[in-house]
Amino acid sequence: MNWQPVARKDYLEAIDSRVIRYLTYLFVIACLIGGYIFPVTTTGAVTTNRFAGFMTGAIGLLLPLVGLLLGYNAIVGERSSGRLNLLLSLPHNRRDVVVGKLLGRGLFLAAAVIVGLVGAAALVIYPFGSFGIGPAVDYMVYIGLTLLFGAIFFGIGLALSTVTASKQVATLSAFGVFFVFVVIWDVVEPAMIFALERVGLATGELPNWALFVYEAQPVRLYERIIAVFFEEQGTAAYLGTDTTWYLSEWVAIALFLLWVVVPLWVGYRRFNRGDL
Amino acid sequence: MVAIDVQEVSKRYGTLTALDRVSFSVEEGEIFGFLGPNGAGKSTMINIFLDFVRPTEGDVRIFGYDCQQDGKLARERMGVLPEGYAVYERLTGRQHIEFAIDSKGGDEEPMELLHRVGIADAADRKAGGYSKGMAQRLVLAMALVGEPDLLILDEPTTGLDPNGAREMRNIIREENERGATVFFSSHILEQVEAVCDRVGILNEGELVAIDTIAGLRESIGGGTKLSIQVDVVPDTALHSIRQLPGVETAWLAEDEDRIEVTCVDDAKMDVLVALHDAGVDVQNFRTDEASLEDMFAEYTGGGRE
Repeated sequence: MNWQPVARKDYLEAIDSRVIRYLTYLFVIACLIGGYIFPVTTTGAVTTNRFAGFMTGAIGLLLPLVGLLLGYNAIVGERSSGRLNLLLSLPHNRRDVVVGKLLGRGLFLAAAVIVGLVGAAALVIYPFGSFGIGPAVDYMVYIGLTLLFGAIFFGIGLALSTVTASKQVATLSAFGVFFVFVVIWDVVEPAMIFALERVGLATGELPNWALFVYEAQPVRLYERIIAVFFEEQGTAAYLGTDTTWYLSEWVAIALFLLWVVVPLWVGYRRFNRGDL
Repeated sequence: MVAIDVQEVSKRYGTLTALDRVSFSVEEGEIFGFLGPNGAGKSTMINIFLDFVRPTEGDVRIFGYDCQQDGKLARERMGVLPEGYAVYERLTGRQHIEFAIDSKGGDEEPMELLHRVGIADAADRKAGGYSKGMAQRLVLAMALVGEPDLLILDEPTTGLDPNGAREMRNIIREENERGATVFFSSHILEQVEAVCDRVGILNEGELVAIDTIAGLRESIGGGTKLSIQVDVVPDTALHSIRQLPGVETAWLAEDEDRIEVTCVDDAKMDVLVALHDAGVDVQNFRTDEASLEDMFAEYTGGGRE
């Protein structure tokens, strides 16, 4: 492995890119606004755990956007312009390219999440809130989960960027992922119910296996995991109290982790096999 | 010791054959010219060296390392000026060199290299604003990082003015004197003739000749080039001329009203007689001494830039 020079170079490029800087600022500012508003508007106790629940909507919208935008052009842009030829003429292999991009650009995503959420926590606690060791650990776990959530979409973007040689295809598919997972997913549930009722597999609500499919999508997984472990902290089951094992919160966490790894791995494998 | 060893390499894209069972080797210390018209498959071959492209059959070893299995180890000993590259527009010239030094573990002073290729005064400008020629010089400087044992240069003089092309040749010679093997491709004969020890000529994916410049000259020998003005040429006429003893080859000139034939001096009359027998109306003819240029044209089907 000789990815460090590639990561350093990608970092130098990324820090010079206005788009990447603005995306980072956008996320940080959104978190700070959330942190400012939450104590003022909430009717219950002001805790960072409840703040985590308060933020899932905004983060579920923004972080996929930032992650995909950071990822989708990372490699295909270099490939279509010919910069990849220059890079791979040096003693680097294609894995170095993917790892270098992951770290060189991922750093900005990580910085945005950490700075944004730590800053927001300070705003939540400062005037009215309370904060102890327990909530502090919880909040760090929450930041970790949010980092992984960002990594999922950054990874999907990067994967799209590795499997195609065409910038247009990468752009359209990144937009498609955002549209399906973030914009219209809520409509998918009634659509699934409607379709399954037509063929006589459901009555009024989704059967367990279909619910599993519907909930196995990264944004849903993130929202449910935050709700179960932070917002309601153990008092609520993941999806009802007596559902089958594959609808439990622990399976949700396993799926969540698979989303981090699998798209990027598949993309890397495809990228590594073919001609450039 | 062999620097590059190409064994029976073929590359097919569907039904299109880019390389057809090409084999050759380049010894350490040589300057090897890889010659052929655009689209002959030169870049495909170099892209296989760099593992951008995987061969359909055959394999290439560089200093004993398989380019597909151990490409990184092979590239650690190479300096490359690839085809179709772009520079990082957001990074300065100096940052490019620093990146190459970082990658190859070299210990050069970036400014010295930039000075050597003649763009020291642009060192701290972003490469996005470089001209084609400056970018070419920058990438050459990156290739020189770490004193590579093998320099691979794909059409190195593209985008350079005549002065730049001469400087490029000087650098190639200097690097060779230092002990580096140089492999470079070109579609221009003069570039190759001026510096190369040995030349391989590629045409339509096939290696049609491989020899020293002197050897190639010898093969056209005390030869003569006949240039025969005709009106119409049936394909069979060219074929029957090629069969004549003493005739090396014959081809139709680009404007299609002339046949060019390289042959030994004694065969000239036989050619004219054969043409007459084939029903070709010979309007005029002249004889020249054959040159390398003619030979290149002949091997590559007469197409010349």
